[in-house]
Amino acid sequence: MRRLLNSVRYIENGLLVLILIAMIGLAGSQIMLRNLFDSGIGWGDPILRVLVLWIGMLGAMIATQQDKHIRIDLLSRYLSPTWRDRAARLNNLFATVVCSLLAWHSGRFVYFEWQDGNTLVNNIPIWVAEFVLPFGFAVMALHFALLMLQGKHEEGT
Amino acid sequence: MTIVIVLLLLAIALLGAPLFAVIAASAMIGFYREELDLSIMAIEFYRLAEMPILLAIPLFTFAGYLLSESRAPTRLVRITQALLGWMHGGLAIVALAACALFTAFTGASGVTIIALGALLYPALMKAGYKENFSLGLITTSGSLGLLFAPSLPLILYGIIVQQLGIGLPLSIDELFLAGILPGLLMLIVLSGWSIWSNRVQHTQAFDWGETKAALREAAWEIPLPFIVLGGIYSGYFAVSEAAAVTVIYVLIVEVFIYREIPLVQLPRVIRESMVLVGAILVILGASLASTNYVIDAQIPTQLFDFISAHISDKYTFLILLNIFLLFLGTMLDIFSALVLMVPLLLPVAIGYGIDPVHLGIIFLANMQIGYFTPPVGMNLFIASFRFNRPVSQLYRSTLPFFFLLFFCVLIITYWPSLSLWLPGRM
Repeated sequence: MRRLLNSVRYIENGLLVLILIAMIGLAGSQIMLRNLFDSGIGWGDPILRVLVLWIGMLGAMIATQQDKHIRIDLLSRYLSPTWRDRAARLNNLFATVVCSLLAWHSGRFVYFEWQDGNTLVNNIPIWVAEFVLPFGFAVMALHFALLMLQGKHEEGT
Repeated sequence: MTIVIVLLLLAIALLGAPLFAVIAASAMIGFYREELDLSIMAIEFYRLAEMPILLAIPLFTFAGYLLSESRAPTRLVRITQALLGWMHGGLAIVALAACALFTAFTGASGVTIIALGALLYPALMKAGYKENFSLGLITTSGSLGLLFAPSLPLILYGIIVQQLGIGLPLSIDELFLAGILPGLLMLIVLSGWSIWSNRVQHTQAFDWGETKAALREAAWEIPLPFIVLGGIYSGYFAVSEAAAVTVIYVLIVEVFIYREIPLVQLPRVIRESMVLVGAILVILGASLASTNYVIDAQIPTQLFDFISAHISDKYTFLILLNIFLLFLGTMLDIFSALVLMVPLLLPVAIGYGIDPVHLGIIFLANMQIGYFTPPVGMNLFIASFRFNRPVSQLYRSTLPFFFLLFFCVLIITYWPSLSLWLPGRM
């Protein structure tokens, strides 16, 4: 189990580094091209925008696993440890349900887009870019379910 | 029925459920009751991939994390100290100036207290400033600079207003200009207070050698604000381009020239910064959906009708807005507050004849104070944790600063030209 988690972490880190470097490189070359040659890569900007969505979803998946989502931490400060634990379970159950619904409906959305066969740029079908939504929400639902079983929020968000 | 659902969602939000899930749930319930297919949620989330400006969020956040991981804060403090340390209350002004600049570039507050407070607090104590003054100053400075470009909350406000597409079109550049004078007002008032309350403080003589050494040490970082701010204000760079330039510049300087962040550490820094980016973007995505529903259901119009039936003039509305935002700022972090409240407040404010640019400055100025308003301002807890002092002591030590900045917020609110004069000259 630990080895599995470690390799997942490596993959996540690798993807984050790859996407961010691609973003920086692509954005940088667009600026160079625009200023030096008054041109740019046609597919550059749409791809950059998709990468923002991807890195955001990936970041959100990791935020879920580390229990670092933004929340209003107002009442739990005044709860006893037992009730804080119960509140955390309830919160994570709620988030699991919401993320599962989001995963299911965005999955249907990607399926429709696959049937329609729209493209993003050149020959890349748009559902490839959108696939990160159902995938991301499914992973988040899974993490939230695990957090629910564990109980209690980690300190310091 | 609607009331019950709203109360239940509010209750689970206050219990500490992830905010994006609460917002997404509210949107889904809304769409479901309008008998719309819920795959609309994915369409709304995918809009995150259709806004070019959003590129600025991961890039600026990463650059900010890199800066706070390097020794840039030390150099920043040294250089401001060399330049301003000869004045009465000079070190306090150093703290204010350095924090404002740092917060503008790192955006997310809290980072400033941790990165700069750790240097400034001992320095202030050593120079003989009173403990409560020093604590209050550092805690307050943690959110100073939100009004200066290229601060992320300013950009996010612009994005949300553009998405709403009501009122006059608004550009992020206008917001950047609008924030300058109100931000300076806050800096000047706090500096004045620091000078006055530390009249008898000893000062250090201005030292050319130290100034030169400090300048030389930070030689690679000094151009950064000029390149970025110059590029943005002159209109040479779009905001997302400025973000790309910043991140490339910072990456080269901190990793390859100063070599303060080893390459093997980069994945960790990327991971930490992108967790924050992910947390912000899912909230933004969920709020795109909920905003769409809110506007569809004409909630802002109803809200305006309700409020205008009870409050007739603009100034009463502004007072209530200030109180409400101050209260909101203590509970919600700035990003959630923006995505949740701006879609509701903007149409109402426009109804009262308030300029969207001005509203943005009022909103952020209030949020800035909310960060250290008792009992639950976030920076109070960060400072309490970081400096190992009870929160009650921080309540007391930030109080004079709170009143000074509240006074600034009132000026900003009731004197629109302070915010609107600069953008109007463009």
